[in-house]
Amino acid sequence: FNGLTSKFVAAYDNSLHFSDHLTSELNRELENARILRLMMKLNFINERPEFEHDRQWSETGDRYYLKLFRDYVFHQVDAQGNPAVDLAHVLACLNKLDAGIDEKISLISRDEQNCFIVSYKELKRGVEAAFQDLLKAGRRG
Amino acid sequence: METDWDEIARVGFPPPGIHAMPTPASTLAFDNSQELLWAGNEYGRVSSFYGPELQKYTSFRAHASVEGPVRQLLFNDKGVISVASRSIHMSSRRGLTMWHITHDKMIDLRCMSYTSKGTSEILVAGCQPTMFRVDVDKGKIVEELPAADQYTMMKRAHYICAATKTGAVDMLDHYSFKVVKKWQAHAGYINDMDARNNFLVTCGVSPRQQQAYMLDPLANVFDLKKLAPLPPIPFHAGAAFVRMHPRMSTTSIVASQTGQLQVVDLMNPNTVNLRQANISSFLMALEMAPSGEALALTDGDCFLHLWGSRSKIHFAELSSPTELADPVVPLQPLDWSIDTPLHSIGLPYYRDTLLSSWPSHLVFEVGNPPSKLDPDILATMTASGYAPNPKKTRRYQVHDTRLAEKISAPLMAPKFLSEKARESPSSPR
Repeated sequence: FNGLTSKFVAAYDNSLHFSDHLTSELNRELENARILRLMMKLNFINERPEFEHDRQWSETGDRYYLKLFRDYVFHQVDAQGNPAVDLAHVLACLNKLDAGIDEKISLISRDEQNCFIVSYKELKRGVEAAFQDLLKAGRRG
Repeated sequence: METDWDEIARVGFPPPGIHAMPTPASTLAFDNSQELLWAGNEYGRVSSFYGPELQKYTSFRAHASVEGPVRQLLFNDKGVISVASRSIHMSSRRGLTMWHITHDKMIDLRCMSYTSKGTSEILVAGCQPTMFRVDVDKGKIVEELPAADQYTMMKRAHYICAATKTGAVDMLDHYSFKVVKKWQAHAGYINDMDARNNFLVTCGVSPRQQQAYMLDPLANVFDLKKLAPLPPIPFHAGAAFVRMHPRMSTTSIVASQTGQLQVVDLMNPNTVNLRQANISSFLMALEMAPSGEALALTDGDCFLHLWGSRSKIHFAELSSPTELADPVVPLQPLDWSIDTPLHSIGLPYYRDTLLSSWPSHLVFEVGNPPSKLDPDILATMTASGYAPNPKKTRRYQVHDTRLAEKISAPLMAPKFLSEKARESPSSPR
């Protein structure tokens, strides 16, 4: 029995290590689903061809800024005009959008003629309203 | 205008496109609750400029560019209302659309005015037979009214003073919008007018020989309380624009097309104070801030000029702070290897439901067999994998593949020999 004790302790130690590892893995991947769901919602509403002639999404419409937000998050460029692929920027923007905080950002259209100041709270409300409209239209059809 | 007044800022009005030629502002207005100067351009765009340096603040398209120039701007505590020939638009000062109204009977709108209901209702009119009463809070047309005349300008004072196309001014009642008094101010048309307290001042043109129109060398004055004209203000250079001083109730500023500014007391038109605006082309518009401490001019070279005293200039009487974009806190550089977890950037503090929360009632079926390719596509496909779209369904239409399978292979009960014989037409009876 004495010979078994050391093995016993080692096995116990290993199982503790394993559960620690699982916890840390879980901790790392926990946020992914939330960000994926957010991305799905955004992609559902953005650039739908049936919205192309919708007045709400046109330049004078009340959802135009949602288009510009997509550009703000994903189409950042650096001073030379090269695309800036910065995961940190995307994650920070998406997290702020998810929480709908009061921070305001300035959105500029592609032709640099339109300039808006929008809070994440308004963006969140806009995305949610547009997504609910899609759900409603889907149920009717 | 005190002696220390001077031009303190001059900015170019932004052109309608990146490579386009600049165009002059079609309308100018000072905000009544923030330090902003607003301007509309010829293509339906509304832009704002912040503070005495006239920094660019927001800019947004309020009307489709085919509608032509933005005609007039009005402000309330929630936002800015603009009018172009076929639509009325309201945006927040930060540029977000609140409502946008179009109507079949909006043909050539020119002007608008608040009515008896404070800033919650406007009357919109133009060179067309219909006027509209619009609820500003709801963004809905409340009533369509027949217009007594074709109106080009409106100012609200004791009455709603509406300038007609033919040089007259109709005083409209605030409640019934009936014409109380018609006053033929000028023989041609009215170029500019302003009404405040009990006075109405107009600048207009008269037809001269050979059909040419010329600015009248007088600004006409009307007493809104007694409904009678007062002696006009002489202005030899030709009165083109006029604004009443918002604080000094009998003082007005008259300007010529060449930029000569004259500050004059209506009760005592002989004591004048002359200034010259430094412009190289024609003056296009003149606007006075609600505080009376700033004056904006725009010229034919597409510049905006701001006049005032350097030490005291401010636009609104009680200005609330303008909401600017928050400075972006720079993020720490992270090493985005495959192992970096996505939670390295945390969620800010929150109370409401997250946007990413997914409604629980949405249930979806997974694991369906893939939909079958249309045999027509397979038949016409080239070796490189291209085939014309047969267009039998919508683009990316959903197929219920389970349903299709059920129909294609129905399970039949086996038949008796006698049944088979009865069904077969060749079988002998």
